[in-house]
Parts: sequence; structure tokens; C-alpha cells
Amino acid sequence: MTHSNFSHRLLFTAACLLLGVSLATHAAEPETKDIIKYRQSVMLSLRGHMAASTAIIQGKVEFKDQLVNHVMSLEANTKDIPSLFPKNSDSGDTKALDAVWKDNPDFLKKAKSAQEKSEALAKTVASGDTKNYAPRLKELQEACKTCHKDFRKEEK
Amino acid sequence: MGLLVAAPLAYSAGSKTPDNILTRGEYVYRAAGCLSCHTDDKHGGSALAGRRALITPFGTFYSPNITPDPETGIGRWSEHEFTRALRAGLGRNLEPLYPAFPYTSYTQMTDADLHALWIYLQSRPAVKQANKTHDLKWFASARATIRLWKALYFIPGAYKPNPQKSASWNRGAYLVEAITHCSECHTPRNALGGASTNMRYAGTRTGPENSVVPNITRDKKTGIGKWSVGDLTTYLENGMTPGGDFAGGVMAEAIDNSLRYLRREDLADIAEYIQSLPAIEHAVRKAGKNTAQKEAWE
Repeated sequence: MTHSNFSHRLLFTAACLLLGVSLATHAAEPETKDIIKYRQSVMLSLRGHMAASTAIIQGKVEFKDQLVNHVMSLEANTKDIPSLFPKNSDSGDTKALDAVWKDNPDFLKKAKSAQEKSEALAKTVASGDTKNYAPRLKELQEACKTCHKDFRKEEK
Repeated sequence: MGLLVAAPLAYSAGSKTPDNILTRGEYVYRAAGCLSCHTDDKHGGSALAGRRALITPFGTFYSPNITPDPETGIGRWSEHEFTRALRAGLGRNLEPLYPAFPYTSYTQMTDADLHALWIYLQSRPAVKQANKTHDLKWFASARATIRLWKALYFIPGAYKPNPQKSASWNRGAYLVEAITHCSECHTPRNALGGASTNMRYAGTRTGPENSVVPNITRDKKTGIGKWSVGDLTTYLENGMTPGGDFAGGVMAEAIDNSLRYLRREDLADIAEYIQSLPAIEHAVRKAGKNTAQKEAWE
């Protein structure tokens, strides 16, 4: 190994370490507003996939080939809803009610229900069991509303 | 025109209560949303036993027990007293009732629906639970204030169908104005708590439970003018907006306890009527925010 090669590697390692430390520091202390914004983005994507899935399942639009993508996105994004609501994200420009954190067991239960219902929908669509698309979708919609009812303020 | 505004069903006071009266009564009870306001769901209260807090700009109202319990509920009330409460906003001892109880809408109900509702409520289990005194701001606490309020804003009388309109529109109008009482939350109130007649259904930032209640007129910019009748029917049925968001708070409660039990054709009639209301431009959401972002769960 030449001296120059060694220096480059050393420099690269140091840069990686610095970047790693910087990312770790950042990840350890995300700002509340960034968490809220991230949560909002995930919820917005859920909303889009929900509207798209509904339009396809109700036969308002074709795009049947796309349904699997939408329901898989719903499944992926509902996998760990509670992680979107860490303790330090209860204040600021948020519509999440205090009950998310104060009545946490109930929140976890309802978030889990959304996860289970979206999994069931994704599984049904993957199996091509078309007659059960609408009932599974309805169950997921119900889970979304139930959680919003208890844990989201209508407007702030 | 439909069940609720059809001619009264045959019923003889001396006979055993027919099932159809109970069925009709339950339907009216669901549509009127009695359960939501008269049950302290948050604290595991019994159905219709009251004590549910309703936070308003005038203070906190606690709903009364309307189970048939003779001591704490309406077990000693006569049907006449019950009907008078809904039609005229008067309590058992003729005391004026606060309009937090939406007799301002219920006054428009048909005799047949009031009767069926009375029969149905009498069939509910009695629960002994004393009422809780309202916790109101000073200016709202005197009953004399209600008398004045009623003189200014209360227009008693049953719903009068509009012969110029279709049967489905009239059905929707009856349901909305007399029973589901949408206007009570969706119409802004003036400083005295009277509904702003020129702003009907235009939404408010000072709704119940400190919520912002959306403008549901067909204004395209600030209301729901971009929604179709089908979109609104679906929303009333399952709480989903055309954009894939879901109702929360008080509206989700109204859907869960009330609207979801209505027949889809009734929900469609409600949607038809709501969509026929004049468009009013009235933004109730925070200015300067991306609407799509605001509608998501932040």
C-alpha cells in the first residue's frame, strides 16, 4: 500500500465516521416539527393509496393492475403507526390528540387493528379473491375512522 | 317521501306496542343522534344515562339522563311532556331548555316520528344516575337568558315540505333540518349563540369540543363544492372523504352512532339536499396552509 493510498483510505474512513456520528446525532434528536412533518407525509401517502384503492375496487376507474401496489403501500405504511408518534411529538402544529400518549394502550390496539386490516386487504388482493376486496377494504376504512375518532382532532 | 315523513303508522295507544313503531323509533333515535350526546362514552357511562360533557363557547353542558328511570331519568314524564320538550324547548316544569339540546331542529319532526321516538326511548333499560349541573359562563347561566334567546332565535313548528322540490330533496331536507340537525354544528353562531341565518352551513372555528367545523356548502374553494352527491353519501356512510382521508372527532362520532345506521337512500337524499344549499365562501381553516396537508393527520 502506497502512502498516498493509505492517506486516501484514512481520509475516507474519517469522513465516514464523521458522517456516521453526524447522522447518529441527528437521528437521536430529531426535531419535533420534523417528526410531525414526516408523520404527516406518511399519513398523506396512506390517504392517497386509500383513495386510489377505493376508486379501483368500486370500479370507478380501471387500473386494476395497480391495485396490488396501492394495497401493498397501505400495508407497508400501517405496519408500525405507533412509531410515528414518539413522546416528543405531542406538541406543535399537530392534530394528534393528547389521548395518543395518555391513552396509549387503546391507541396501540387501534393502530394494530389498522395494521391487521391492511394486511388482510393486501393478502386478499394478492390472492385475487375479487369478491372479498370490498369487504376487506370496508374493514380497513372502519379501522382508519375508529382511530381518527378517538385520536385526531378535527382541525386545529 | 319515505318512512319518516310518511303518514303516521297505525297505532293504538291501548294496544301492545307494535314492532314497527319500535323499529321506526329506533331509526329516528339513530338519525337524531340521541346516543352521542346522552351517553358519557369517554368515562364508560351507560347508554342514555347522560352526564356527557359538551364543551361550547358558553360553557360546558352536561346532558341529562333520558333513560326511563323514574327518579333520575324521564320515567315519570308523559308523552306530552316529552313531545313539548322537543317541539317547544320546555322542560317538565315548563322551564326553558338550553338550545345545546337541539330542539331548534327537533321542533320540525313529524308527530309520528316524535311518537315513535318516545316509544323507543321508553323501551330502553332504565339507569339510575343523577344529572350533573351545567358549568356555564356567567352570561349563560340564568334561565332568563334562555327565554330571551328563544324569543330571538327559536322558530317552532313542524317541517313543511317544499312542493317545488322533488320527494328525495324534501326527504333530505326533513332529515337534515329536523332530525340529524347538521346545521347545529355547521352553522356559525353570533355572539348571543344564535345561528347566523345568512351563513347557514358555512362552518365555524368555534364548534363543539373546541373543534373547527367545516363549511359544507357547495362553494368550490372553501366548501365541498368539488364533492359529488355520491362522494358525500359515502362520507356519511363510512367517514371517508373523496381524497381518502377519514373523519375524526365529533363527526366520526356522529357517523358511528348515528349516520351509519341510516339507509343508503336516506344518506343520498341528505347529500342531495346538502349539495343544493347555496354556496357561501367562508374559509374556516387556518390561512396560509396547504389544504391537502392540513387534511392529513399531522
